[in-house]
Amino acid sequence: MSTYARQTGRTVTLPASLDEAVAALAAMPAAVPVAGGTDLMAAVNSGLLRPAGLVGLGRISEIRGWSYADGHALLGAGLTHARMGRPDFAALIPALAAAARAAGPPQIRNAGTLGGNIVTAAPTGDALPVLAALEATVVLAGPDGSREVPVSHLLTGMDPLRPGELLAFVRAPLLHAPQTFLKATARTGPGRATASVALVLDPARRGVRCAVGAVAPMPLRPLEAEAWVAGLIDWDGDRTLEAEACTAFGEYVAMACIPDPADHADPANPAAGELPPAVAHLRRTVAALARRALGRALS
Amino acid sequence: MTGPDAVTATPAVVASGTPAAAGDEESPRGLGASVPPADAEAKARGVFPYAADLWAEGLLWAAVLRSPHASARIVSVDTTAAAAMPGVRAVVTHADVPGAATHGRRVADRPVFAHDVVRHHGEPIAAIAADHPDTARLAAAAIAVEYEVLEPVTDPETAFEAPPLHPDGNLIRHIPLRCGDPEAVGEVIVEGLYRVGRQDPAPVGAEAGLAVPRPDGGVELYLASTDPHADRDLAAACFALEPDRVKVVVTGVPGAMADREDPGFPLPLGLLALRTGCPVKLVATREESFLGHAHRHPALLRYRHHADAEGRLVKVEAQLLLDAGAYADASSEALAAAVAFAAGPYVVPNVFVEGWAVRTNNPPSGHVRGEGAMQVCAAYEGQMDKLAARLGLDPAEIRMRNVLSTGDLLPTGQAVTCPAPVAELLTAVRDAELPPLPDAEDETEWLLPGGPEGAGEPGAVRRGVGYGIGMVHMLGAEGHDEVSTATVKVADGEATVICAAVETGQGFATLARQIVQEVLGVEEVAVVAADTDQPPAGPSARGRHTWVSGGAVERAAKMVRTQLLQPLAAQFGMSVELLAIADGKITSYDGVLSTTVAEALEGKELWATAQCRPHPTEHLDEYGHGDAFVGLAFAAVRAVVDVDIELGTVRVVEMAVAQDVGRALNPRQVAARIEAGVTQGVGMALMEDLRAPRGVVKRPTLTGYPLPTALDAPVVRIVKLVEERDVVAPFGAKAVSAVPVVASPAAVASAVRAATGRPVGRLPIRPQAAVAKPAGA
Repeated sequence: MSTYARQTGRTVTLPASLDEAVAALAAMPAAVPVAGGTDLMAAVNSGLLRPAGLVGLGRISEIRGWSYADGHALLGAGLTHARMGRPDFAALIPALAAAARAAGPPQIRNAGTLGGNIVTAAPTGDALPVLAALEATVVLAGPDGSREVPVSHLLTGMDPLRPGELLAFVRAPLLHAPQTFLKATARTGPGRATASVALVLDPARRGVRCAVGAVAPMPLRPLEAEAWVAGLIDWDGDRTLEAEACTAFGEYVAMACIPDPADHADPANPAAGELPPAVAHLRRTVAALARRALGRALS
Repeated sequence: MTGPDAVTATPAVVASGTPAAAGDEESPRGLGASVPPADAEAKARGVFPYAADLWAEGLLWAAVLRSPHASARIVSVDTTAAAAMPGVRAVVTHADVPGAATHGRRVADRPVFAHDVVRHHGEPIAAIAADHPDTARLAAAAIAVEYEVLEPVTDPETAFEAPPLHPDGNLIRHIPLRCGDPEAVGEVIVEGLYRVGRQDPAPVGAEAGLAVPRPDGGVELYLASTDPHADRDLAAACFALEPDRVKVVVTGVPGAMADREDPGFPLPLGLLALRTGCPVKLVATREESFLGHAHRHPALLRYRHHADAEGRLVKVEAQLLLDAGAYADASSEALAAAVAFAAGPYVVPNVFVEGWAVRTNNPPSGHVRGEGAMQVCAAYEGQMDKLAARLGLDPAEIRMRNVLSTGDLLPTGQAVTCPAPVAELLTAVRDAELPPLPDAEDETEWLLPGGPEGAGEPGAVRRGVGYGIGMVHMLGAEGHDEVSTATVKVADGEATVICAAVETGQGFATLARQIVQEVLGVEEVAVVAADTDQPPAGPSARGRHTWVSGGAVERAAKMVRTQLLQPLAAQFGMSVELLAIADGKITSYDGVLSTTVAEALEGKELWATAQCRPHPTEHLDEYGHGDAFVGLAFAAVRAVVDVDIELGTVRVVEMAVAQDVGRALNPRQVAARIEAGVTQGVGMALMEDLRAPRGVVKRPTLTGYPLPTALDAPVVRIVKLVEERDVVAPFGAKAVSAVPVVASPAAVASAVRAATGRPVGRLPIRPQAAVAKPAGA
């Protein structure tokens, strides 16, 4: 006999459609939606999180694939990293496929989902800089219907997920141009990013869009550097740049994302203007990643 | 009341002598053959019972409350709320320890539960037994502890001046080593500062155990212990029981390269079982495991090497500071090894070393494979690289000009009497063919630093080659009584080995089978699981069991052999030496006698028990002199690394190893141990460092503490095993596990130096230390 009542007050529902899931969540606002569970269940199993109920999203087939709508792909939030890493998906959104392939060991990629990566919003989430660079939006399904929010608004907390809402889809533009995702890790095997850079070319708008992940709580966009480098590219020609321009772009991006300390003029402490060695290395890493990312996108 | 009979604890070493259908084919047997471990199939199939798989009817679950602070005064501990929770059966704190309040395998300086002060993050304060693991954890969280947080001492350099953290003081040991002429000066002098991080043994299975009360008031502890008798003795002392009323049964050990268990967890477990009268089980979380068990000593090493113009070492001066953490544990032994091997396997006429092990509020340090020797190897090999660069010599050449050999003296004054084929090892790795460069044509086939989906770019990758030569001592040093006892039984043509030497995965059970097969010619050999009803065999560390327990098994088997052959010899009027046993048959030299072992036994059982005790050693005296070590083992490693010099990411391409093994008793097992050691060394070199800012471990998880994965593990190429028998060791064999761990980090650092031109004074190597200097800097 055990006094511990394992399942009392804890319910697990397995809705088969998005509407059912929204209804289940509305019926039990304290329940937590779970898809791949790669972050959530670790917290549950270690006792850090004790949800009153779980709404499992694994059976909702409508969010496990993707569809096309006016130049965009509507990606289901339940797409796994393994699925996104496959060649057919890589032909659509190459940077997201590259991020999905780099996202961890196969066990994690088989379970972890695109939506989970966004909702968890870990600074090291590999899909996040790609979505920021794509300027993707998310479709949130709630009891009062669905709404669409830029992914950056969700990640910065400008427009957070409301109670009872589920992340259903991600709307990402199909740019039909090279894209790169590069990630620096501490080991050769799968690991968390110390810094990552996603870069996409948008020939229709003659733009270069870049986002830097893992160096801040959310992906950072170096807008000035993007605009500067987009102006150098001969969009109607072969779209190549001198190596020096790529290097300058890398440094521009790195300076924007990891700025010098503000109090560099403090005369009492001349070292204050210098970055600590680890941060200086992070800036060099971002510079190298951004240079390589641009170079590969333009090659 | 549940008696021990109800325990379904399957013993660990279910080493039946038949790994496969024995007998049909020529299965390998005897010494020198690659006999497979008997438990290999069970482990591969996932049915091997580990400590966490134990079960007893009606068991309770334990949880331990651990300090969240590195240093604090405990104002009060209030357990009333926790004890009142439904399902909680017992709460124990320091007040419930009936016997010795402090314990320790070497120095009894560690409280079972902290009561007045906590000295490190994760120190146990109380323990709970409840009828569900979650209830136990929630109850542990409900214990109200009022702390007065103190400023932790986390920099070992400040420990000397800091107020004492413990009644025993902050200086655990100081060894000044003086050898030769302090005034000696070389033509070339290089200085270096080296730091080594805190490596966690990170066993694949976290700590787990089961305590079962006995009807006689004693208790049985089912643990993945690596030294069951020592664990029993300290448990008995804390429980105020006679040692024979506490029994430690060794269960399947899920990885060990050290004193496996955090000693502060079997003790609460036993106390809870005695208190509740029920079996109590504890399975530590990975977080607890990281906090509780002993780590490799972080070290700060200052060196000054003097050499003549030809690169021959004249003098080595060194200051070695080991961070022992809060309790002494194995720090004294680690420091002795660090000081004695401070100059490495090189001949140096003048050596002056100051070594200290100091107490801090950092996570505890203790015995981890190659302790002391690994840290100094990283430093002295860094110094050799510096000297080579200064003199314009090849790094292998400068090492070759200084290598130690048999007959030379260690700085401690001990003569190296065992084989010391250092020159041969270095030659072997130096002359081994280098791995091919990646195919320049097909860049997609490159595995670049950073991994297959990483950011590596071929143009930024530089290849480096470096060397590390390591040495370790085998068996306990400085007067430890390194004895082991083993019993061999033969009945019905089958042999059984009873020895409390724990099979930790190092292969002792396989070796014991091989020895008995060799001596008695019996195919079927079972090795009984270890427990403390057997005579003590000592800890599984420093290659002890290959030496002393293997030696004891051999002697016992030889005694059985004599008992078996004596009647036959007498009957045929010849001496025992003229009879041979092979493949279960006994034959005489002239072929007159031919019988089988089973027939010769005539239904009898033959038993013999023997001990093996190596020659005694001495404590290092006040000048650091003394014959402190029983034996030494050496290895040379050549590392080939690829470094992305912009990102500072490193991939180890190949580790070429030449090792002094004395005799390869089981070649496949030797290779496996070397591969394991090299991989652990690569982890130490590149990624493993348990960071504890202000004494608090920030991320005690396997995400926060990266270990080498299959993609990080290099190709390990064993280019040479030097089999020069050590005459004093049983079978002439040397321990093989520790020395690759010692030499590998130094070799990787040396290779990264070669690739980047950077000094690389810190292990693990951080990316910012492996980037090429920016132009103009």
